[in-house]
Amino acid sequence: MRLLFINHIQNARQSLKSNRMRSLLTMLGIAIGIASITAILALSGGASRIVGNQIDALGGNIAVVRPGAPSNAVLNAGGQSPTQQQFASSTLTENDIDTIEKIPNITSVAPMMILSGAVKANKGTPVTTTIIASTPSLADTNNLTLREGQFLDPNLSPYTTVIGAQLSVNVFGTEDSIGKMITIRGQSFTIIGILKRDNNPINYNGVDFDSSAIISREAGRSLNQGALQIQQINLRSDSIATLDQVIIDTNKALLKNHFGEADFGVLSGDKIAEPTNRLFSVIAAATTAIAAISLLVGGIGIMNIMLVSVAERTREIGIRKALGASNADIVAQFLIESLALSIGGGVGGYVMGYILALGVSTFLPFDPVLTWGIALTAAIVSIVIGTLFGLYPAIRAARKDPIDALRQYD
Amino acid sequence: MAKITPTPVIVLKDLKKRFGLGDAEHYAIDGINLTIQKGEFIAIMGPSGCGKTTLLNILGLLDSKIEGDYELEDRSVATLSSRRQAHIRSQQIGFIFQSFNLITRMTVIENVALPLIYKGVTQTARLKQASAILHNFHLGEREYYMPHQLSGGQTQRVAIARALVNDPSIILADEPTGNLDSYASHIIMEELSDLHKRGNTIIMVTHNPRLTTYASRVITMLDGRIATDTQTPNRKSEAGAKRPLGKKKRAKRKKEQTA
Repeated sequence: MRLLFINHIQNARQSLKSNRMRSLLTMLGIAIGIASITAILALSGGASRIVGNQIDALGGNIAVVRPGAPSNAVLNAGGQSPTQQQFASSTLTENDIDTIEKIPNITSVAPMMILSGAVKANKGTPVTTTIIASTPSLADTNNLTLREGQFLDPNLSPYTTVIGAQLSVNVFGTEDSIGKMITIRGQSFTIIGILKRDNNPINYNGVDFDSSAIISREAGRSLNQGALQIQQINLRSDSIATLDQVIIDTNKALLKNHFGEADFGVLSGDKIAEPTNRLFSVIAAATTAIAAISLLVGGIGIMNIMLVSVAERTREIGIRKALGASNADIVAQFLIESLALSIGGGVGGYVMGYILALGVSTFLPFDPVLTWGIALTAAIVSIVIGTLFGLYPAIRAARKDPIDALRQYD
Repeated sequence: MAKITPTPVIVLKDLKKRFGLGDAEHYAIDGINLTIQKGEFIAIMGPSGCGKTTLLNILGLLDSKIEGDYELEDRSVATLSSRRQAHIRSQQIGFIFQSFNLITRMTVIENVALPLIYKGVTQTARLKQASAILHNFHLGEREYYMPHQLSGGQTQRVAIARALVNDPSIILADEPTGNLDSYASHIIMEELSDLHKRGNTIIMVTHNPRLTTYASRVITMLDGRIATDTQTPNRKSEAGAKRPLGKKKRAKRKKEQTA
């Protein structure tokens, strides 16, 4: 049987070579399908690494507290990202911030209250943007660096703001806007600092710091009718080693504050990235489904060509049978040929997919990933396609009556 | 003349083969009783459409939708699975077709090695055997030619080499010299009679009465029945013996004679 297998492979190679153009075009059909799937998986893999990498870049000793029970993860399997709407009425309170601040080994705690609204300069048109109300420690927890000026300071007036470089350009047409006034919800703020660009629109905070305005907690409270809706609390422990203990302590303390109701989640590491990643995986799943259609078309192409090939080689089938080939031998011969087409297309498609992903990623803020998982997926998909669409022509070939087959002329 | 040991290889009992349905129904083979002994060289003659080729296909296990009984070496063919039949074709039967039936996209040597694939011979051994047999047929220099680069006689010799490469005990030849001139025919018939002398059973369909002189038994068919069945003195094949038997075959023959 092993011998036959090797022979069938040699035979398939020969037969595909003798119809080079036809084989290449058929393989191309499969290659396009596999290429799109590979590109999608590589890019979505790259996308879902962004957030994880950011957390690593922050030093790995950060954790976030988010409202809503951690068990929500199951309900959210649909892949929602932490939007403002979802946390419209947050379960986190200012009291929680004060509690967390008292936990040992925590170096900084920063709440994030996200308001949306328009920002405008004196005479300019309003620019819709994200407004974050927080504390000065936000600069520390999120590693925010300033291009110019200073960060929020409790000793200054609460009506001061630090804005992202892009927002500055959007409102004033320049990145140099220190000391200028902007109006948020009817209240004037003095710009005391401009953030350095970090080009990270996708992050676990759900905001793009490049085009946000950061205001103080007090100002945020007064702009929101005196209530602070905290969407997230970022905290940083003094070292990676103490992070686990900090998370446990935070959980305990908050649970006490919330009278035993676990309506919050303390997350660290990959878990922080989860909601964002869920979104990416849903997008990837949807696009993969579309790519699967092209794969189906490619598979039909294989079936079509194999049927032609079987018809063309009817006489050969008759000869082989007369010379002692069993039906199983004939099935194997044609099945291996269609597998050769699909696997050839799969390999080509895998390479094409990566080139495509690399090309596309030059326009995106992340790189495609290269994993064994994707290679395995591509391999399995091509084998399944080859078998699925090669089986019918192969069985048809084997069922041919040898006498009729021999009677047919080349 | 080769010694015929009285072991029946093929026994046909009231064999019938029907084509068509209803009004178009017609028996291509209409009740044939035939016993073929091991080592016979049978020539089947008859006009076109009398069922010669159909009979040959049935004997070669290519057509198993038959009525009546066909026993091949004491086993009724009807009881054999298609896999088993394929196995017998691969081990025991060699086909020589009228229209050569080489696979056009394969080289001569690959064509000749083809039956060995299904016998499970390794590639090196396959090519070795095929090469050896091609040398026997004086085609050693044509091994890597494509079939279309050969003359008719050469092509038919390749086809015969292919039929013989797996050392079959039964050789079925359908007009092996059908398209060839008399010289090429002669060479091929010499090969066949040589094989016959080595103890193979040969069943040959032919239109050419001159070729029957090589045979040990001539059967004429008419309308799906056997019309005449005569043993002939096999002069030509006696005279045409060129090559002595191989050592092994000779020993075997001796043993058979003493037994």
